[in-house]
Amino acid sequence: MATLKELQARLTRLEDIKQIEKLQHAYGYYRDYGDWQKVVDLFAERDVSVEVTDYGVFKGKEGVRRFYIDLLGGGADKPRRPGLLSIVFQLQGVVTVDANGKTARGRWYGMGMEARPTASLHEGEFRQTWIHGIYENEYVKEDGKWKIKKLHFNLTFRTPYEEGWLKVPVVGQHGPDALVKPDAPPTAYHPYPSGYHVPCHFKNPVTGK
Amino acid sequence: MNLTELEKRVVLMEDIQAIADLQKMYGYYMDTHQREQVVSLFSEETESIEIESTGLFLGKAGVKRFFLDNDLLQPGEKTVPAWINILIMMFQDVIDVAPDGKTAKGRWNTWLAEAMPVEGIPRQQWVQGYYENEYVKENGKWLFKKLYWNVTFFTSFEAGWLKVPLLGLLNRPDADAPAPHFHPYPSGYHLPYHYPHPITGE
Repeated sequence: MATLKELQARLTRLEDIKQIEKLQHAYGYYRDYGDWQKVVDLFAERDVSVEVTDYGVFKGKEGVRRFYIDLLGGGADKPRRPGLLSIVFQLQGVVTVDANGKTARGRWYGMGMEARPTASLHEGEFRQTWIHGIYENEYVKEDGKWKIKKLHFNLTFRTPYEEGWLKVPVVGQHGPDALVKPDAPPTAYHPYPSGYHVPCHFKNPVTGK
Repeated sequence: MNLTELEKRVVLMEDIQAIADLQKMYGYYMDTHQREQVVSLFSEETESIEIESTGLFLGKAGVKRFFLDNDLLQPGEKTVPAWINILIMMFQDVIDVAPDGKTAKGRWNTWLAEAMPVEGIPRQQWVQGYYENEYVKENGKWLFKKLYWNVTFFTSFEAGWLKVPLLGLLNRPDADAPAPHFHPYPSGYHLPYHYPHPITGE
C-alpha cells in the first residue's frame, strides 16, 4: 500500500508529462503563426539552445531570440509575409521525466505543410512543400514551470508538393545564414535518404536498455 | 499535501483525459457517419457550432439540424455512399479546465483526407484547420458546449494549398447565420488562443 507521499510523487510525474506535452503543443501553435516572441518565451532563461534543420546551433536565451526573431522572423518589426504558410503538427510525443523531477526529454514527430520561398529564406517565389522531421528535445522545470531547454528539429524531408519525397527529398537547403550566424555549425543534419536515424532518448520500457 | 488536495489533482487529470477522449470519439463517430452518436455528445445547453463556411448553428436545435440534416446525403438517400470519405484526424491538444472544474476549453490541430462532392462533383481533398472548442461537465460527464473549427485550407489532392487554397464553399442555407469567422488561407487570420502563455501568463 503506497503512502500519500509516494502517491503524490507518482501523480506529480503524470502532471509533469502532461505539462510538457502542453508546452510542446503550444510551441507548435505559436510557431504556426510566426508568434516568435511567444516561442522564445517558452524557453528557460539559462543554458538553452535551438537547432533546426541546417541553420546551425543557437546558444543561450539571446541565441534562441536571434534564431526565431531575427532569422526566421526576419527581425522584430518585420511583418509576416502575406501568403507565407508553415504548419507543423506536433505528434506522437514520448516524454521521459528524469528521476530528479527537474529535467526531462521528449521525442516528437513534426509533420507539416508550407508555402514558402525555397531559393532563400525570405525572398522569392513561393513553393508548396511537405515537411517532416524529428524533435529530440530537453526540458527543465524552472520556478515550478516546465520550459524548453534544448530544441533540436532534425529534418527528414522537405519536398515540393508536385514531386514527393522520393523524387526530391530536400528543396531549399539553406545552410547557416550569412547574416544571422549560428553560434556553432549544425551537429546532425542528415535528411532522407541518408539512412541516418535520430537516436531515441528513451530506454526500452520492457528491457530497460 | 493531504488526501483532499491529492484527490483534486487526480480529478483534474481524469477530466483532461475524459475531454481528450470525448473529442477523439467525436472524430471517430463523425468519420463513420454515426451522427446520432455525435449529437448525444453535445450538451442540451450547447452554445453553437461553427464549422468552416457552413455557417453558425445555435443551441442544441442547431446541433441536431447540423448533424442530422446530413448535407452529404442526396434527397431520398438514407445512408452516405461509401465513396464519400470523412476523415478528421485530431491531435496536439491543449486543454484547460476552469478552476471550478465545471467547464473547459481545448485547442486542437486537425488534418483531413476527404472525398466528397464539391459543387456537385466528386472531389478528393486535403484539409487543415484548428479547433477552439468548449466543454461542460454535467452529472460527472463531459460534453461539448461549443464546437468551433476554423479552416486554413480546403484544397484538392491534385492542386495543393498554394495553388487552390479553397476548392469550394460549403455554405448551408439552413444555418442560423453566415459563418462569423471564415478567413481561409491566404488571409493570414490567426485563430486566437484560449489559453494564456504557459510561461509569461499573458
